[in-house]
Amino acid sequence: MFLASSQFLYFMEIMIFVSVIFMHMCKKNTSAVFLYMFQSSMLTLLLIIISIKEASLPFAMVTVFTFIIKVIIAPVFFLNLVKRHKFKFAVSTYLNMPMTLLTLTVLLTITHYKFLKPLVSLAPSKENLLLLSFATILASIFLIINRRGALSQMVGILSLENGIVSFASLAGLEENPGLQIGITFNLLVWVIIATVFVSMIYRKFGTLNVTTMKDLKE
Amino acid sequence: MIDILVKISFFFMLSSFIIGAVGSLVFMRNNWLANLCGNLFAFAGSAFGIITSAVILITGSVISCSLPTSFTLFTLSLHIDSLSAFFLFIISLISLLCSIYGIGYITHFFNKYNIGTLGFFYNIFIAGMVLVVTANNGLFFLIVWEIMSLASYFLVIYEHKDKENIKAGTLYFVMTHIGTAFIIFAFLLLYKTTGSFDFTIIKDNISGISPFMKNSIFVLTIIGFGTKAGIIPLHTWLPGAHPAAPSHVSALMSGVMIKTGIYMFIRIFLDILPDAPLWWGYTILIIGSISSLLGILYALIEHDIKRLLAYSSIENIGIILLGLGSALVFFSLNMKSFAIMGLIAALYHTLNHSIFKALLFMGAGSVISGTHTRNIEEYGGLIKTMPQTAFLFLIGSMAVSALPPFNGFFSEWLTFQSLFHGIKSFSFFTQLIFIIAAGSLIFTGGLAAACFVKAFGITFLARPRSEAAKHAKESSFTLRIGMASLAVLTLFFGLFAGPVSSMLSRISKSLCVFQDSESAISTQFHAVKLQDDFAIVSMPGILISLVLFITGIVIIIYLLTRNQKIRKGITWDCGTSLTPRMEITDTGFSRSLITIFGGLLKPSRQSDIEYHDANQRYFQKLNIATLGTRHDIYNTYLYKPLQGLVTIIADYVKTIQSGNINGYILYIFIAMMSLLLLFVI
Repeated sequence: MFLASSQFLYFMEIMIFVSVIFMHMCKKNTSAVFLYMFQSSMLTLLLIIISIKEASLPFAMVTVFTFIIKVIIAPVFFLNLVKRHKFKFAVSTYLNMPMTLLTLTVLLTITHYKFLKPLVSLAPSKENLLLLSFATILASIFLIINRRGALSQMVGILSLENGIVSFASLAGLEENPGLQIGITFNLLVWVIIATVFVSMIYRKFGTLNVTTMKDLKE
Repeated sequence: MIDILVKISFFFMLSSFIIGAVGSLVFMRNNWLANLCGNLFAFAGSAFGIITSAVILITGSVISCSLPTSFTLFTLSLHIDSLSAFFLFIISLISLLCSIYGIGYITHFFNKYNIGTLGFFYNIFIAGMVLVVTANNGLFFLIVWEIMSLASYFLVIYEHKDKENIKAGTLYFVMTHIGTAFIIFAFLLLYKTTGSFDFTIIKDNISGISPFMKNSIFVLTIIGFGTKAGIIPLHTWLPGAHPAAPSHVSALMSGVMIKTGIYMFIRIFLDILPDAPLWWGYTILIIGSISSLLGILYALIEHDIKRLLAYSSIENIGIILLGLGSALVFFSLNMKSFAIMGLIAALYHTLNHSIFKALLFMGAGSVISGTHTRNIEEYGGLIKTMPQTAFLFLIGSMAVSALPPFNGFFSEWLTFQSLFHGIKSFSFFTQLIFIIAAGSLIFTGGLAAACFVKAFGITFLARPRSEAAKHAKESSFTLRIGMASLAVLTLFFGLFAGPVSSMLSRISKSLCVFQDSESAISTQFHAVKLQDDFAIVSMPGILISLVLFITGIVIIIYLLTRNQKIRKGITWDCGTSLTPRMEITDTGFSRSLITIFGGLLKPSRQSDIEYHDANQRYFQKLNIATLGTRHDIYNTYLYKPLQGLVTIIADYVKTIQSGNINGYILYIFIAMMSLLLLFVI
């Protein structure tokens, strides 16, 4: 009963959003990865609640699949990467911390401004939840823009994906389970390829700071 | 009952192509198995295609089936009416004979290229074409159109060790996708007007379409499908891509694939969009005139036999458009009986061109197999070493030159009748357009004859001009059987013009715009005549006359010379021994015509030429010589300025390419927020 209550959903969504904020604030790659793990755990919990509410076995399978890939496999890949190349402090940003927080505030304000109201019409009873998950999407994009490190950007992309999944789930835009499993599998492939590329980039340039990779331009 | 049989036959057809495609890949390690699997299943699929289309054409039935998908606007919807069945028949017929030819032709790729991939893309290509002419949903159509285009692209670059082929393939890839972009835009406009991608629903709901929207769709369609059809100036990919593919694929591309563009012209202008305005017909007539005339002029000066045939295809597409253009003009002027005549001419030439062009490409393929070059200048005297190929190529050359009693003659004759009726009536401006079109067709006919006299003469007559030509051997049995079948068909569709025209008349009248109209031509088994007795032609009569005339000449010669003794001696040679250098060359043959049309062809000129003979004797320098090579005017005046413009824009746009991924994500973010803002406003 408690699990299915809107307060609990709201709490989950807040946790997802807060984890992005902390990703912006953290200085270590490992912290970013653990935050992503936490965020994915919250998302999985959200999906479990929805699957219980809808009493859907295929949806539950999707949730299990999501848990395996996002909470276990992807973080393991990233942590191994960090461990292998020892780039614990490769995090740097374009904007300093006060400006970053100010921008996040502006983004959160924008999401509650009237021009996003049409989005809410997808599920009017979950207005705040939808807006918060949309704020997660915007904050994740901002994370990708603001960070110079490739690993942080990858975490940002995965966080963006989590935001989209939570938005779609809350708005009732779920596709059929087969397609969702396909999308999650796609994510796994992406993580593997991205990890390999990051390793190659690090070997070639000796850094993961994307601004130093000028040779990639042409 | 017939419906079910046709559906089963269609299913078997598609299954055969799929099995052929997959089987070729499975057996790719064994050249012979891959070859047989690819071609025999393509043959079987084509045979089922012929059965399917023949039943529909004979019974006049319309077959529809649809498989819904989870996407609202996208259904796997097929609809085969008489028009679709006619194009399905052409595709299947040519594919069937190309597959027979392919069994023998592909052997020269053994151990050089992967036979499995050739079989795979070959089958997919045919399946794509079949689905293009039967698809009834815009989105489904775009998917199968893309399948057809991509499969043909991979066939073009099949001989990938030749860099020229890769270059030709890349140009084809770019051009075909530019065309597809226009097609997508046209379909989106249709969707905006009717709220559906289903062609039947579009047809039912399009009556209220605004003239602006209708004309926009016309222009987009002309560019989109015209690129595939190879109309000038959108043909730039065609002379490179068709020759690059293996010859039996070239036959399919030139003979059949470009006709899918013509099919969609007819489908959209006469079946889907209502009330074609007069200027559509004018536009198509002008495009047809330019394409036919320039196509054959470029063909005339080509030294590459397959490029020559590719340019000739452009010419023939022009002739088809002359028929279609006149049909549209007559339709706009509410002269539906003549419009049907124009459409019959276009459809007939579509069929005929498929047959004789496939024959010519196959003949060229046989010659290339024997000599390992596409350069006509290195042929000569092949009639002695490849007599049967020479004979079959001659039949193809006569058909493409519109000589009776072969099929090319009748369809061009009918096109002429349509144009003459345009000249006979209407306003001054309409007359002028028809006069230009008829004049262009007259020129085209003459130049086509000259072109194929050159192609046949330089290739097969006189003495060999290279060692390869001297030692060439007659092509294998499957190659000859494929060509011979097509040669028989050129005669068949020439002789039985009456019944075929009658069938085409039924197809034309099956289009809703012509349903209650009569054709301006009346057909009998032995003759075709125009309603007002303006003209009449009897193809069997022509054949009998020709046979009698030739027999008479032979008898007269025999009677006159029977008492004369034949004395054989060596050819008089002015005291020197005969060499291939004394023969007229390809360049020499076309030089006078190049000079006449120098303004259009812009031939290159070479001054201070110095040359010597086999004995190292130097000859006096000439002042100026006109060479066969030319600078294409469409490149000079259209594509190069366009390229310059794109380069300038690209240079400006490049400034936003910072090389910083954060910057790119920022662009996406700004674009997304702007779209959200637009959505609200």
